[in-house]
Amino acid sequence: MNRVSMVLLAGGVGKRMKMNVPKQLLTIGGKPIIAHVLEKIEMIDEIAEVIIPSPENYIEETIMTINDHQFSKPFQVIEGGSSRQESTYKALQHVQHEHVIIHEAVRPFVSKEEFIHLIHCEEENAIYGLDIPFTVLEGKEYIEGNLERDRLVNIQLPQKFNTEKLLAAHEKAHHEMNEFTEDASLYFHYYGENIKVLEGTEYNIKITKPIDRKVAEIIYKDYVLGREYSE
Amino acid sequence: MKTCIVTGASRGIGRAIAVKLSERNDIDNLILVARSKNDLNETVKLMNEQKNIYSYSVDLTNSAETQKLVHSVGQEFGTIDLLFNVAGYAEPKSLLETTLENWETTYKVNVQSVFMITKEVVKFMKKTGGKIVNVASTAGMSSRPGWLAYASSKAALISMSQTLSDELAEYGIKVYCVSPGRCATELRRILAPDEDQSKIMQPEHVADVVNNLISDHGLCLDGQNIVIRQQPHVQLQTVSNKTETASPSR
Repeated sequence: MNRVSMVLLAGGVGKRMKMNVPKQLLTIGGKPIIAHVLEKIEMIDEIAEVIIPSPENYIEETIMTINDHQFSKPFQVIEGGSSRQESTYKALQHVQHEHVIIHEAVRPFVSKEEFIHLIHCEEENAIYGLDIPFTVLEGKEYIEGNLERDRLVNIQLPQKFNTEKLLAAHEKAHHEMNEFTEDASLYFHYYGENIKVLEGTEYNIKITKPIDRKVAEIIYKDYVLGREYSE
Repeated sequence: MKTCIVTGASRGIGRAIAVKLSERNDIDNLILVARSKNDLNETVKLMNEQKNIYSYSVDLTNSAETQKLVHSVGQEFGTIDLLFNVAGYAEPKSLLETTLENWETTYKVNVQSVFMITKEVVKFMKKTGGKIVNVASTAGMSSRPGWLAYASSKAALISMSQTLSDELAEYGIKVYCVSPGRCATELRRILAPDEDQSKIMQPEHVADVVNNLISDHGLCLDGQNIVIRQQPHVQLQTVSNKTETASPSR
């Protein structure tokens, strides 16, 4: 595989975080969450361009963060959509390369190696996933059915797809007003093709709720910095 | 082919470090920074002329100048592998004698300029890893009546070094801090005008330690405040190429 494009989803507005600032611009270890991801992206030669859909009000701040850290990849910060799916759809329309990596700005602890492994994975479409260590049943107020845990996978990002096919799938979903929570399910819905699941790590958490940020601070200090803190 | 920046390279410890670094095989590009171009030229004369030496007259308290310098060095050489923050300022006064101007200048040189240049350098260094050495002082470790601004600014530098050592670890950047005690420099003469400088530690002794720190010997010494001082009643021999302690002299 040659060089790929990256779509870094940064369209969240932080409702579940109960903050006025989008969660990707909140800090971990004093550094904006999105910067943790961009630092890894910056080190990967195979990534030729980065498209970042952002809430309109935060485009300037996102660009400022990129400039503050002197990231040098070709970046495009574009106005995101009203949903995650719409943001991805809009970003895909800017992608120049045959293959695209989709990642979320709020998964700061993805490693450079995970990106590289995904890019070089022989399968055209691949994602990261984890086993589910707890039981998941169908239903809301009442249990309506059993699910076989061994047949389920906890979907993570980053994910890799053929750009043209993913964009076509998004166009269909857009016209049919079908909504999906992420791209593997959307892609599978329209093509039914195999999507390779690579084994992810527990560290690659998605920061959604306030408790995730607390966990993230611990991961940052213990896993990323790797120092012993006695105080 | 490593590139390094040494601030305060026009005299004292900065000059000694610059000279020592020019003798290393693993450093090719030495960027010397200080206010006085003439004094920098004197430093260059003492250095290994086989190296690529560039001297810049820059006021490090001017953040725009600092930014411009670091950016041009980073662009020219691709990265910056080593940064030595040696430039310092002292105007020793007690509390009631310390003017706001004195306080601000001391902090601008000893703290703020280190913050600024480190911030700019790390933008390049974080892509390749590297080493940063901050020269603080034993004055930053305990009470120094009459040296309020200087001593507290050096305490700030020690603290900055410790935090940055942890914060920059993820980029493979090691941050060292050395705190020399009494050392025969012009700055020391301001702090202790009556001292016989021939009987105290010389800048070259500090340069030797710094040179060791950035070698393999220093791999596990980052993040600590390393005190470099002459033990009381032990006179150090005049420095040539080797650091040797002489017998006690009383």
